[in-house]
Amino acid sequence: MPSDYAIETAALTKVYRSRWKGREIRAVDDISLRVPRGTIFGLLGPNGAGKTTFVKLLLSAVHPTAGSAMIFGRDAREPEARRPIGYLPENHRFPTYFTGAGMLDFYASLSGVESARRKKLIPELLALVGLDQWGGVRLGKYSKGMLQRVGLAQALIHSPNMLILDEPTDGVDPVGRRQIREILTRFEEQGVTIFINSHLLAEVESLCREAAILNKGKVALSGTMRDLTAGKGYRLTAAAPPDNLLEQLRAKASTTAARDGLIDFQFSTRELANEALDLLRSERCEIEALAPTTSTLEEVFVRTVEQ
Amino acid sequence: MTTWALIRDTFREAFARKIFWGLFGLSALMILFFLFLLKIDLVEGAMATVSLFGRSTNAPTDVDRLVRGVYGGIAAFLYTWGMFLAVFASAGLIPSVLEPGRIELLLSKPVSRTHILLGRFAGNVLVISSNVAFLVLGVWTILGVKTGIWSPAFLISIATTVFIFAVLLTVVVLIGVLFESAALSTMISVALMIMSPILAQTSTMLRLLSSEWSRQIWRTLYYALPKVYDVGRMTLDAIQSRTFDGYMPIWSSALFGAVVMSAAIAIFAKRDF
Repeated sequence: MPSDYAIETAALTKVYRSRWKGREIRAVDDISLRVPRGTIFGLLGPNGAGKTTFVKLLLSAVHPTAGSAMIFGRDAREPEARRPIGYLPENHRFPTYFTGAGMLDFYASLSGVESARRKKLIPELLALVGLDQWGGVRLGKYSKGMLQRVGLAQALIHSPNMLILDEPTDGVDPVGRRQIREILTRFEEQGVTIFINSHLLAEVESLCREAAILNKGKVALSGTMRDLTAGKGYRLTAAAPPDNLLEQLRAKASTTAARDGLIDFQFSTRELANEALDLLRSERCEIEALAPTTSTLEEVFVRTVEQ
Repeated sequence: MTTWALIRDTFREAFARKIFWGLFGLSALMILFFLFLLKIDLVEGAMATVSLFGRSTNAPTDVDRLVRGVYGGIAAFLYTWGMFLAVFASAGLIPSVLEPGRIELLLSKPVSRTHILLGRFAGNVLVISSNVAFLVLGVWTILGVKTGIWSPAFLISIATTVFIFAVLLTVVVLIGVLFESAALSTMISVALMIMSPILAQTSTMLRLLSSEWSRQIWRTLYYALPKVYDVGRMTLDAIQSRTFDGYMPIWSSALFGAVVMSAAIAIFAKRDF
């Protein structure tokens, strides 16, 4: 049955048991997550949070201990559920006996792309990732960044409906990163769901519409990027008020900072910001700006992981 | 399409490993030996002289016996050293697919795990088949042209050599899936090859063993394990136009291969990567 979600997991759990010591590691612990179709979704978390295991559960490279995972409404354990997925693993090891074009041809064949279509698509995709001159060169000669680009082309070769990318810009130079971001944005516009597992918070923040932060195998926080980074604070900027008023305002504000004859007050709630506004207006002080403030994803991430 | 892609990938990897070129090189050398160094002059169907490395012998020999002897020698070489080299060369082809960073990508494709493993297995068997066929057909053609004797019995050695290789490869696959170790795969497969002629002395050993349980263990091992030696013996008998006692070594070895391959598939299907 068609689903509104590209990925839907229910109480997905993976427990690794040490064979000899009987010790248990809950790599993924009761994760229920929904990734809507057509969005760019970021999966974040510190090392060992369970991100890679979660991705492997989606691809059925790892079998769940409990719970279920669905891909476009289909049980992830079925091989056919993986047909709409283009995947770029972290620390991929493409066989070095392949040329770039040969590698694309092989993985496209496994995805069921017909020979004539492969012949057409391979040069197009190599050009898309900036490797059009490198298709005939063995992968052993490629740099890390080039392998990452050809890996992305591999993930795109069968025109997937969803991309699962594990650290997609790892080892890529800043120009290449920008190109990859542009490519991903273009595919998002075409309705392709993009699921990114990355450590680069700034990149996830700029690319993703939604994100989840995993910690110790559980979803510690999830939501739209706007909701996640929206702080509950407000910044009020005003011309320097009289000293007595300044003291009152400082008492209400969480932080203050002076710049160019203006003072920024940071208030933690809307009520406090309104009270400060009333005080300033009663003294006929000029208001420069009042705006809600947001946290960076990094701040949210650190706060979530440390809790 | 998927199966063919997996087979082609195995061929690519096999040829990227220099050892496979070594196998083909050895076969080519053998063919060249028969082509240039062995000269047989026939006079009205009977052999007049046989020349090897330029030195002639005038001893009258039955040409048919000589050709069958040569066939037998090649079949025996293929079956022992050729088999060992083939197992040694193939042992790395299964663990290499299971390397982290490679297996995840394969598993992310809409292909079942059984299909992946069988595709790899088939590719490996075909690589060795092409090498064995190259050598046997090459020698068969050269000797046929030089002697006028076209004995199709020699061609049986292609089938039997590939068959026993495929049986031993199931062990390589199982050990590869379990331990991802090419060295261990080779050791166990070669151990089976070495054990086979010993176990084949069943009638003698059953007389020599003193206790019933030890005789039972011997019988179980003999019937359960692949009969590399017995099938080799059958091949030589066929080449020499001798009769042999039944096909038990073939079907029991096939059964062993089927059971081991099924176990490998079941373990591979359950493994986490």
